[in-house]
Amino acid sequence: MNPILDVKGLTRIHGTECPSCLDMTGPEHDTNVCPACGSVVAAANVSFSLQPGEILGIMGESGSGKSTVVKTLYFDQAPTRGRATFRDDDQSHELFNLNGAEQRWLRNHRFGMVYQNPNLGLNFNISAGGNIAERLLMNDLNHYGDIRRRASELLTRTDVMVSRMDESPKQFSGGMQQRVQIAKALATRPPLLYLDEVTTGLDLSVQAKILDLILEIQHELQTAMIVVTHDLGVIRLLASRTLVMKYGRVIESGLTDQILEDPQHAYTQQLVASTL
Amino acid sequence: MNPNYRLPNSQDSYGFGFLDEFAKREIRRVILKAISIPGYQTPYASREMPMGRGFGTGGLQLTLSMIGPDDTLKVIDQGSDDSVNAVNLRKFAELTCPEVSTTESTTEASLIQTRHRVPEIPLRENQVLNFQVPYPDPLVIVEPSEAKRKIMHGEGDYARLLTKLYEDLVKFDEITISHRYPTRINGHYVIDPSPIPRYDVPRLNQSKALLLFGAGREKKIYAVPPYTNADPLVFDDVPFRTENFYDADGQRRACARCGCTDSFLDELNLEDGSKAWQCSDTDYCNRQLASTEAGEVTQ
Repeated sequence: MNPILDVKGLTRIHGTECPSCLDMTGPEHDTNVCPACGSVVAAANVSFSLQPGEILGIMGESGSGKSTVVKTLYFDQAPTRGRATFRDDDQSHELFNLNGAEQRWLRNHRFGMVYQNPNLGLNFNISAGGNIAERLLMNDLNHYGDIRRRASELLTRTDVMVSRMDESPKQFSGGMQQRVQIAKALATRPPLLYLDEVTTGLDLSVQAKILDLILEIQHELQTAMIVVTHDLGVIRLLASRTLVMKYGRVIESGLTDQILEDPQHAYTQQLVASTL
Repeated sequence: MNPNYRLPNSQDSYGFGFLDEFAKREIRRVILKAISIPGYQTPYASREMPMGRGFGTGGLQLTLSMIGPDDTLKVIDQGSDDSVNAVNLRKFAELTCPEVSTTESTTEASLIQTRHRVPEIPLRENQVLNFQVPYPDPLVIVEPSEAKRKIMHGEGDYARLLTKLYEDLVKFDEITISHRYPTRINGHYVIDPSPIPRYDVPRLNQSKALLLFGAGREKKIYAVPPYTNADPLVFDDVPFRTENFYDADGQRRACARCGCTDSFLDELNLEDGSKAWQCSDTDYCNRQLASTEAGEVTQ
């Protein structure tokens, strides 16, 4: 089976790049700031592939570049270099060679994103249903009745009370806001979903419900997902394969069980030891 | 620059139509571009006019750049030929465009400058209607950045505007935009058709006359060329509604002056506290009145 997403050599450098940027940063130098030119190497040579319906975890400490990877793939940021191939039905898209309009089309139609902060994913000035309607309208669904029906279906699916559909998400709890975000991301039934620290900041029982929901959706819709988190519990529960990142580099990758039970890299060993 | 181009002979005075020839040329070129890309907000260098921006300088610059001595000009403000804005703009045109005749009759005019109404009498192919536009961009209510709005227009991305309509339907069971109703031109660009009431929006569709929109303060010109589709933004299952002027009993109100029941009505507060309704288009009202009187005479 062809992978749905193939990422090769994804690099993102902030600042004026110099030839020694990649050689003088990374875990072995214990920094991601280039001592020669002061550029920040947010991600360097990140490569991985993702199968349809698979959940891939990206784990690492703050500033390790895990969010950068997802943001470039969702076109929130442009990469410095690298390739990403997205296979959709029979078509294959070179993500970073597309023009702005094509990128926005993919983003609106084929990708979904759930941010850590619901502020980024939701418009708090309109109702929860309106947030979902916006995404449906982007997909050329132009029938008010159908939009209402689909939005209430999605909210029911994500355990948000349909009676509160016409309220602003401002009045919702953090967990509910996150569920509305998931409903919005799923509105177009995207084959690829990015989850950026979705459970961070939520209490444990709400976390568990959100994670259950994500797993159910993955079983139901066979959505491929990239889960970014620093929480080993989330990785253990969701991801079948995991990348561990530090200072913008992938330092270890493989099956999640293998990484958590038998970490090879010193940093991963430390990480696993400190949590379990 | 055209090497054959000559400045007007008397450089110590204003040229015909107040604007200098360079300005007219630029505005004409922009008008051609606007007609070529129906609904596209073409930027132009809006000139200083001897009146404040926001008093119809956009529409006036359109009018002055295209008017010639053979033209007959009509200026209306909310349908009326006699309100302050219309009178002043007409006087200004009379002052700066010698030999141009002005009229209050819709049928006699070759060029009509309007503030916020489309005349009741259907326009002809040899007429041009210039709208005065305060806010040219319909997306301004959902996106503050003009750079982003341009991209949204280019891609025909009006989902957020429709989300606004969705929110209206959720809250009020009705789209609450009474004027400046976003209208899609020729299947792509959505325009703000200036603050015309909803009643006038269907008149933009397949109009025989050329419709030009000038925003002086915002420095934009756009056009609805003749025989072009103009569709108000709606949902497939929520039809577009216009003002119907029904009273509490479901009767269509009639104009208190001419008695007609097929025009856009203004609501007037009378001195005794009661209300009356009267045609907003004064030329149309006078015409109706004259024809009923003529009918009575022949009887």
